[in-house]
Parts: sequence; structure tokens; C-alpha cells
Amino acid sequence: MDVVFFFQWLDGSMLAEFSKSSSGIFAVVQTIHIASMVVLGGMLLLGDLRMLNVVLPDVPSSLVIENTKKWIYLALVFIVLSGIYEASAIAMKLAYNSFFFAKMAGLSMGIVFILSLRSAVYRRAPGLVYPEGSSQTLSQSDTLRPWIVKLVAVTNLLIWFGVASSGRWIGFS
Amino acid sequence: MLNELLFRFASWLDTFQSSTDLHEALYMYSWVESAHVLTLMLFLGMLLVIDLRLLGVAFKNIPASKIVERLDKPMMIGFIVMVISGALLFYAIPVRSTQSIWFRIKVVLLIAAGVNAFLIRKMTRSSAMKAWDNDPVPPKRIRVGAALSLGLWTLVIGAGRSMAYDWWDCTKELPYFMYWAAGCVNEMAAFEQ
Repeated sequence: MDVVFFFQWLDGSMLAEFSKSSSGIFAVVQTIHIASMVVLGGMLLLGDLRMLNVVLPDVPSSLVIENTKKWIYLALVFIVLSGIYEASAIAMKLAYNSFFFAKMAGLSMGIVFILSLRSAVYRRAPGLVYPEGSSQTLSQSDTLRPWIVKLVAVTNLLIWFGVASSGRWIGFS
Repeated sequence: MLNELLFRFASWLDTFQSSTDLHEALYMYSWVESAHVLTLMLFLGMLLVIDLRLLGVAFKNIPASKIVERLDKPMMIGFIVMVISGALLFYAIPVRSTQSIWFRIKVVLLIAAGVNAFLIRKMTRSSAMKAWDNDPVPPKRIRVGAALSLGLWTLVIGAGRSMAYDWWDCTKELPYFMYWAAGCVNEMAAFEQ
């Protein structure tokens, strides 16, 4: 499917006119984009490294995941909004940039992954990822095998690493 | 005087063939820059979690000491990689970096953030921490330090990002003060003549 028409529309929009006119505001929006990436990256890393028992192994994993949720959603909103603003300034360049499409594919996959599989699996994380003797340990029948939880954590880290690196390479291509 | 010294140091670094090679490398420079940005996630991501806990806005049901102590190691790993990659980026373009007003602002902000981090570290490693370790909201001095930390690091990101722009490069026509602040030694001399 040819999507160039979308980039042509974006390039001719009022948003593009505004984003192209001020490099100062563009730099501020870039800073917001990177700062939101730090929030998203930090919270995802914390949750996934916890599930891999690398950080905070003696803190119930449900506590860690619960605390990171709203920051992940908030960061995603800022990343998407600032990303649209940035894209509008170079829409026609992005229309033919394969790293941009790789990033968009990764981003969509990452969002679907954290909202569906990651969330469902982490809710049913087994006793292994809870501290020993914790009252929050689920019964055996309700839990998933530890390797499934760890596989989800590694997959999520790989997806988001791919998104961040392909985003960085848009600037080099 | 300081501008002169910094310029000489940067010019000396610039004479190394490896500096030019790194700058002109097809992929290596991009990889180093990518590593610098990606380790931001690890270093600042962990620092963010610590600061949010010390601010009393997140992770309130986890003791502050646990967050501070357990996230220290991954945070420091990210910091070390970030410093090494940052030093390499400077080595690749020493003169322009030294004469960038944004790079200078970044360095000043980094020093301020470092001093602030040292003070927070001292306060969160003392025995007095036991008194508020489980409190959802830590004492005011701790919250002020955490807010300062978040603010300073956001400004560091902004200054780093702005280095890519040529608004106040030495090649532009600028007032004398800006030449001085950016360390444009040759332009300052021409201005004085």
C-alpha cells in the first residue's frame, strides 16, 4: 500500500508549517521526546529486569509493575505527540526512510505487546519472581512457568531496544 | 585565558589521526552516538525511579533505601558507558565541541547535577534515613534534592540536543559576549582589532 499521500498531507499541514518555522521550539520538542523516552525506557527496564530477577529481587514483582504502569502510559502519550510534531517538519524525508518505517513497526508492536501479552503474563508471574514467603505468591495452578515470564521480559527489552536504535538511525540516514 | 587554554587543548586533540578517523568513519561515529543516547535510558531511567521515590510521587510502598541501594549498580553501569561514549564523541569533534555554547552549558549543568547527586547520596546513606525510610513522602530537603536532580538532568538533555544546531556557532556573526561565552578565540581577536 502506498502511504506517500499521508506524508504529502502532513507536509502541507499547518502543523508542518509551524514546526518548520521555529528551530528553537523544535529543539524543545526533541528534548521532550528524549525525556519521555527516558521515562518509558526506565520504567520498562525496571519491570523487565525485575522479572529477570536482576534488580529488586526481594520486592514483590506486582508492586514494581503496578508502580511503573501509569508512567509508561504517560510517556507513550508524550512520545507519540512529540513524535508527530517532529515528523511533520521532515515528512517527505521520512516517507522514503526505511529506518522510520522500522521504528513505526517496532513501536506499534511494542505498544501492542505491553498492553496485551506482557501485561497478561506479568499478572500471572509465578512465585519465583516474588520474594520467598511473600503473601502475594499466587497458587501454583494460577501461575505461568518462570521461563515464560523471563522470555516475555527479554522479548520486550529487545523490541524497545530495536525501536530506540532505529529511531536514532533516522537521523544518520 | 581559559578560552585560550581550552582552544589549544582541543586543537591538540584535533591533530590526532584517530580523532579525524572517528569523526569521518562511516558507521563507528553513529554507533558511539547511538550508544550514548541508548545508555541514557539505563542511567537516567534508573535515576528517574530513584528521584520519583525520593520525591514521594511513585514507588511509595517500597522502602526508599531499597530503591536507592538496589538501583545504584545498573545506574552506575549506564553512567560509565555514557561517560566513555561521551568522551569519544568529544574526541571526534574537539574544536567545535569546545566552542559550542551548548556544550559549555551542558558541562556546567553536569557539574551541578554531580554536586547535587553527591549531596543526595550523603543524605540517603546516613543513619538518619531510617527515620523516614518507609514514609511515602520523604523529608522536604530530600524532595528538593530529587526535584533539582530531575530538573538539572532534563536541562542536560536539552543542552546536549541543542549542540546539533548552529545558532551560535563561531562562524556566525555574534556579539562579543557570545564569542567569549562560546570560546571563539579567533573571532574575539578579530573583534578587538
